[in-house]
Formats: sequence, C-alpha cells, structure tokens
Amino acid sequence: MNLSSAEFLIQEAFTGIRRNGLMAFASISTIALSLGILGAFVLVAFGANQFIASQIGKFEIAVYMNENATEQQTREVADKIAKIKDVANVAVLSKEEEWAQFKRANPNIESAGLQNNPLPYAIDIKVTDASRTTSIANKVRLMAGVHTVRDGREELARIMALARVVRGVSVSGVVVLLITATFIISNAIKLTLYARRREIRIMKLVGATNWFVRVPLIIEGIVFGAIGAFAAWALLRLGGAYVSQTVERLPFMAQFTCDIPSSILALSLIALGVVIGATGSFVSIRRFLNDT
Amino acid sequence: MISLNEVFVEYDNGVRALKDLSLTVEKGEFAFVVGSTGSGKSTLLRLLYREMSPCQGTVIVNGEDVVDMKPSDVPFLRRRLGIVFQDFKLLPQKNLWENLAFALRVIGAQPKDIRRRIGDALALVGLTHRCDAFPNQMSGGEQQRAAIARALVNNPTLLIADEPTGNLDPDTSWEIMQLLDQINIRGATVLVATHDSQIVDRMKKRVIQLDAGHLIRDEHKGAYQHIES
Repeated sequence: MNLSSAEFLIQEAFTGIRRNGLMAFASISTIALSLGILGAFVLVAFGANQFIASQIGKFEIAVYMNENATEQQTREVADKIAKIKDVANVAVLSKEEEWAQFKRANPNIESAGLQNNPLPYAIDIKVTDASRTTSIANKVRLMAGVHTVRDGREELARIMALARVVRGVSVSGVVVLLITATFIISNAIKLTLYARRREIRIMKLVGATNWFVRVPLIIEGIVFGAIGAFAAWALLRLGGAYVSQTVERLPFMAQFTCDIPSSILALSLIALGVVIGATGSFVSIRRFLNDT
Repeated sequence: MISLNEVFVEYDNGVRALKDLSLTVEKGEFAFVVGSTGSGKSTLLRLLYREMSPCQGTVIVNGEDVVDMKPSDVPFLRRRLGIVFQDFKLLPQKNLWENLAFALRVIGAQPKDIRRRIGDALALVGLTHRCDAFPNQMSGGEQQRAAIARALVNNPTLLIADEPTGNLDPDTSWEIMQLLDQINIRGATVLVATHDSQIVDRMKKRVIQLDAGHLIRDEHKGAYQHIES
C-alpha cells in the first residue's frame, strides 16, 4: 500500500462518518452509554473495596498486662510482639496515660470513689494483614505477664466476609458488564455496517480487496470507540461530582472515596473504546465480505 | 478472450441455471446474450467476474481460469473488467466523480491519472457537467451512463453489461448502445445481456441465445428472433 492509498483510506473513513451521520451518532451514543455504565460500576466497586480495606486497617489487638506487671516487663513483651511477622506497629500505653484518658472520658470517676489508678499496663498492636490477627493474638496470649488479649475476632470475621462478597461482586460485575458492553457495541457497529452492506458489495465488485474495504471501516470503529469513551468519561466526571457533593453530607459515608485519578480513568476508557471499536468492526465486516 | 467449456450451474435451491454451456468470444467482438427472463443470461455474466462459480466445467476469462482462482485473486480479475450492472450499483454516498475515483483508487491509480481518466470517461458518456451529482439526484439514463463511465474508467479489455437499457426509453437505449459500440470500436470486447429485441435487431451483432439454461442459437450478425431462411 502506497502513501496516497493510505491517505485515501483515512479520508474515506472520515467521509464515511460524515455522510452516515445518524448511524454514527447512534453508534457513538451506544458506546458512550455502555462504557459509562461500566465505568460507573468500576468506580463504585473500587470505592467499596477501598472503604472496606480502610475499615479492616483500623482493627487493632489490645493487650492488657497483669495488674502487677512493671513497665520494664511490658516493654519486653512489646519487643517480642514487634518481632512477630505481619505486626505493623506496637505501642505501649503507660498506666498514667490510660488513667488520664479514662478520667477525661469519665469526669465523675474520682468522686465515685475510685481514687487510685486500677488500670494495668497495656499494648496496642496494629497488623499489616488483617487475616493474621487471630494467630498473632494467640501467640501474644502465651507470653508471660499477659492477662487479656482482645482481637475483635467476630467483628473482624464478619467484615472480612463482607470484603470477600464485595470483591466477588465487583469482579464478576465488571466481567459481566464488560462482556455486555462488548456485545452491545459490536452489535451497534454491525448495524451501521448492515446499513452499508450494499456499499461494501459494490466495492468488492469493482475490484476492491478485502483490506481496502476493511481499513476505512476499522478506522471508523476506532474513531467511534474513542469519541464514545470520551463522552462516557465526561458523563462520569459530571455524575461523580454530583454524587460526591451529596455523599459529603452523609457522615457515615465520609470515608467512602473513589480516588482513581481522572486521567487514568479517561485513558483506560478510551483504550477500551478503541479496542472494542476496532475489533467490533473487524469481526462484523467479515460477515459482509464473505457474501461475494 | 472468453471461453466456457461444458459449464453447469446449479443454485442452492436446486434450480439449474446453465446446462452444458460451451461458448467462445474472441477478443474485440461485440456480442448480445439474449433470452427470456430466467434463461440464464445473468448467471452467464456472473460467472465471468466470479460472483458465482459453476458446479462443473471451466470458465476462462482473459486467459485465466476463473473457477480455480484463489479468492484473494478475484479483486485483480475484476479490475481488468468493466462491469455495468442491471441496477447500476453506484455508491449512494458518493457523487459521480467520487464513484469513478473510487474504482480507480481501488486499482492504485495516481491522483494525476485519476483526474485525467475520469475527465475522459465522463466526456465520453456526456456527463462532465454532472460530476458533483449523487446517484439519487440523477435520472435513470444518467445513472446508466454513470455506470458505464465507471466500467470504462480503468480501460478494461472486456466490458460486461447486464440489461444496460432495461429501465430506459427507446431513444436513450439507442444512445447507450451507440456508446457501447464506440467502446467496442476502441478495442474492448463487449458482452451485453438484454431482452430488448429492437436494439438487437438494429445493431446486427453476434447473438447468443439461451433458453432454460441451454445455448440454443449462436449467430453472427443475428436478430433477436431467429428468422428462418
């Protein structure tokens, strides 16, 4: 293929789009809506997963020492805990700090008769992998001087189960929506080609090779995909701004953020649109090329 | 130029369109293919540009075996032929100039040649002033001439026309025939399928008559109906 042919084929693609305006509009809006729905689902699923991850990250193990344990003993235990795998952070709380905190929370406690500090030394453990919480807690229970270990086992198990469900729903939802979007988009492209099947046949009859027919139509598919994806991104930006304004007013949703950078979202949508547009055209044209 | 040998054609629905047809058309000839509707005229022409294949027999066009041809070679066969279709088959989204240009672009012609060749072809069919018109803006006669111009524009050695006067009034039909005659005089082999008896009688060219898929008459300087002498 020489340069002037390549130029001609690109020109053909854009003339085709211009002169089939209504079909082009139909294809582009179909692509925009399909990718918009897919993108919205990805954003929500991403946000939900992040929200749950942040909740899991807040889980701590609380260790209470025996009443007579000294600060020295407590520090030794804390050092041992820090050496356990998947422990992120260990903090020793002194009796005095805890007592001060407790008094702040319960200002009447002294007048109620509790004058002396009854609290033991305590250690807060943060873990890197929430699924290891129980086994870490069990190890700590066996250490000398440790009285009680609270690991919030049941709450954690529940939220971990929820996380699995949310992740499963997200992944399968994305897969289903992706397949549906591909199907809808290639169907829309098939329709535009069906409207032009006569044209394709004539091209073949005057001696056009399959590639000569194909290239402008594939370029059209790519352009439709890119424009549709861009429109989907614009819709998501507008919709996202509205939703986050609403969500900010709901206190329990404060941590529900979807911070996928807008540029990454735009690029992946456009890449997806281009790939679906090109393959959709390529696959659909085959049917019409084989007629003669 | 064209050589068919013991050709049988059967459609998928079991209809046998051509039966044991053998036929030769020499280079530079002008021949009519006549016969009633369903006699196999269009089928015969379609074999020549490989829109369909026979179930038996050989078809040679321009020295090439069209039946055994690879699908990827078919476009190159068609580029050396000029085909005028019964329903014109102009690209509806392109104007006259672009329709002709497309046929030339397909064969890889240079823009400079394209301009010159389209100019020549449009002048020959008398449509120079209509080059901006889209097919739906042209009359039947104009579309027919446009289809002929497109068939001519790549200087084919063989021009195949299926009912080129099918939808036209007698005067316009005669003009079209004169045009095809001129193309023949310039050196192209011309094969015309028609059931326009007036035209055939007046032109006094070779007449190949088909009936129910059989070749029943092949007569030089013939008439539409065989005249017993």
